[in-house]
Amino acid sequence: MKRFILNPGIYSAIIYAFLISSAFAQSDAQFAKANQEFAAGQFKEAIDDYEGLVRTGLWSANLFYDLGNAHFRNGNLGRAILNYERALALDPRHPEADANLRITRDEARALELTASRTERALRFMNLNQYAITAGIAFWVGAFGITALFFARRRSGGLLTMSILSISIFAVAMAAIVEIDNGNRGRALAIVTDTGVEARVATADNANRVLTLPPGSEIRILSKRGDWIYAALPNNLRGWISAKSAENVRL
Amino acid sequence: MTAVLSNSETAVGETVELQIRVTGSGAKLPEEIAVDGLEIHQTGTSQRYEMNNFNLSQSVTYTYTILPMKAGKFKIPAQPIDVSGKSLRTQELVLNVTDSSGRSAQSNPKGAPPSTVDPRKIGFIELLVPKRQAYVGEIIPVEIKVCLNPRVRFQQVEPPELNAQGLTMQKFDKSTRNMETIGGATYDVTTFKTAIAAARTGKFEIPALESKAVALLARRDSSNRNTPRRRSPFDLFNIDPFNDPLFGDLALLEPQRITLRSEPATLEVKPLPPNAPPNFSGAVGNFALTTEANPKSVQVGDPITIKSTIAGRGNFDRVNAPVIDDERGWHKYPPSAKFQKDDDVGISGVKTFEMVLSPNEKKQTVPALAFSYFDPIKEQYVTLRSNPIAVQVEGNALPSAAPSAVAAAGAQPGPATPATTKPQDILYQLSDFGRAQPFTPLYARPVFWTAQLVPLFALLGLAGWKVRQAKIGNREAQRVAALHQEAADLMRRLRRNDASPQEYFSQASRAVQVKTALVRNVDPNVVDVDAAVNAFGLGETERAQLRRLFARSDEVRYSGAQNGAGTISAQDRDAVLQLIENLRA
Repeated sequence: MKRFILNPGIYSAIIYAFLISSAFAQSDAQFAKANQEFAAGQFKEAIDDYEGLVRTGLWSANLFYDLGNAHFRNGNLGRAILNYERALALDPRHPEADANLRITRDEARALELTASRTERALRFMNLNQYAITAGIAFWVGAFGITALFFARRRSGGLLTMSILSISIFAVAMAAIVEIDNGNRGRALAIVTDTGVEARVATADNANRVLTLPPGSEIRILSKRGDWIYAALPNNLRGWISAKSAENVRL
Repeated sequence: MTAVLSNSETAVGETVELQIRVTGSGAKLPEEIAVDGLEIHQTGTSQRYEMNNFNLSQSVTYTYTILPMKAGKFKIPAQPIDVSGKSLRTQELVLNVTDSSGRSAQSNPKGAPPSTVDPRKIGFIELLVPKRQAYVGEIIPVEIKVCLNPRVRFQQVEPPELNAQGLTMQKFDKSTRNMETIGGATYDVTTFKTAIAAARTGKFEIPALESKAVALLARRDSSNRNTPRRRSPFDLFNIDPFNDPLFGDLALLEPQRITLRSEPATLEVKPLPPNAPPNFSGAVGNFALTTEANPKSVQVGDPITIKSTIAGRGNFDRVNAPVIDDERGWHKYPPSAKFQKDDDVGISGVKTFEMVLSPNEKKQTVPALAFSYFDPIKEQYVTLRSNPIAVQVEGNALPSAAPSAVAAAGAQPGPATPATTKPQDILYQLSDFGRAQPFTPLYARPVFWTAQLVPLFALLGLAGWKVRQAKIGNREAQRVAALHQEAADLMRRLRRNDASPQEYFSQASRAVQVKTALVRNVDPNVVDVDAAVNAFGLGETERAQLRRLFARSDEVRYSGAQNGAGTISAQDRDAVLQLIENLRA
């Protein structure tokens, strides 16, 4: 008992738990304050508070959704769309974020990236679900193959299950690669500025490729200085100023 | 032999060229042709050799410059030409001369200044403007020829520059170089092709083009500069090469800066007619319009890219994207433009515009696009219209997206802060912070890979257990194999007749023990007669035989070899062998 009381690890765990719980409590208080400011029509103050919460690294779909609403009310449709997209990146089945995103996109006339046929076909599950599926399928297959290796007599059922599991694993891995590198993957970014022009070269006077309304989706392909080379809607590609767009995933 | 005029119509003071081409050599043509009202002088010759089916032919073109002195219809009479002793005549030509200078562009396509070039010149510039009249914004192709005496070594020649207010000249991208005979002398000619356009109306005086050059010329003795050079007999005909200022002591050549100049030219710029179409953007020239749309089948709100191509000749910098005739039901985005020139100057080419249209409702065609320009040849405005392109737009119209969005979310209202404003609006705020989570996908988080350790250890455990099982199974198999081997060895020895009774009964009882051990999977040393009887389920007779066998074995083993007979009868041996061989589970 004495040893338990004097253990420094126990003390550290208690302090850590206390700090975490106090951080959550503080976040809840700031979130509630931002919501009150929003309800009072103080959208700029609400945005500051929501963004303060975002900077702490405690992210939730609801936080980004509310921040998107605040930006919408403040007239910044590009940032509103960016935050709805972030809410959906955290929770792809967030109905409010999905609905408000559609409203905002219609109002901003934002352009969307067209998903490939494969990407559309794979959308019935999200990235995390594919990861879990791949993990389970891999281990089932691995156990099946191990059992087959040591079995005196090869069981047809065990062999079929192993092949099926490894196939599912391969499909899930391919889906992860396709989705993560696709138009809605990690390189997805949203145009936040107004009057953004995609150009054929990294110069303000270079020929224009496409005018991107705020909230338009782009996929960042590479970065060079203050410019990003991006895949644009309508299967176009061009350079835009790096300040004009932000990644959806933080 | 042919004789042609560069133009059959001209004005007083504007020159035309007469070219007489004679096939063969040795033709003699007059230096001047006498026509009242026209001054006709021979200004150059050029020779041409052609090989056709190994037949070499030669032709000489004699160029005359005609300067009309008064208006009227002039007949240039047939000229008698003596070719290798044969007397030939050219055909009679007619030249109409008007007294006005405002002729159409075709009347003097070359517009070259009279070639009264001194063949002894170091160099000069020719400015060839094909038109004397143009419209505001009209692009006029211009050729600038920098003609240099090939006998002079030039260290540096700068491209000519035009400094005329109200006129714009395009940059020279490329130049071509060849040798030409001008005014009877051969020149190294560098031709720059460019285009000029007038930004305002009125009569423009295109000033002389100037080009700075550095030439290596003979150094002159300054003391003799004012004293006339001694004339040689050849000097009378201006052909004395030794009197040529370009020659001299080659060692005394020195670089000298010279300025090459062209003759000035005039250009009258007319204003565009009034009543321009509303979508006229200043394009002057001749163009054609084509359009295409992609994709052809979309949902309401999806983008359709309209690619319109304007090809032709004119001022492409003023060619803007075609406009939509009827924008109702469409939302359009600003177009992008790309120009691909077909020539060095950029007068002719293809300008491609890509414009995104988004249908707000069901549509069956993309609206027609219109593009207007001024045609300087027809002297009127032309409006090109594309044909409507059939598309398939499906889905419901988008008057306001809010109700549908609310409906989509209505199934799960969740904890809500009251909506603050407008009825057609975004959804409510959420007062619940929700579950905190990172953006990093599950597969990229350490916890995911840590979790994989659980099945990994389980798999390793399974594999280890299986390996251990296999090893254990292997030892048992070895033991069984050894027993089988021992049993077979014992049976082989029992069948031989050379064993003593002590050995025989000992081996027989051991064989029974080994066989029993194989059946019962036990150690053969612990097998006694009862265990063997039970293992094989023997009858009374066999039991008795087996007991006797074990008894004899114990007897000879523990009581010594002297007890009993010294040998075993063949009958007993067979009985024992048969008993042991019949032991089967």
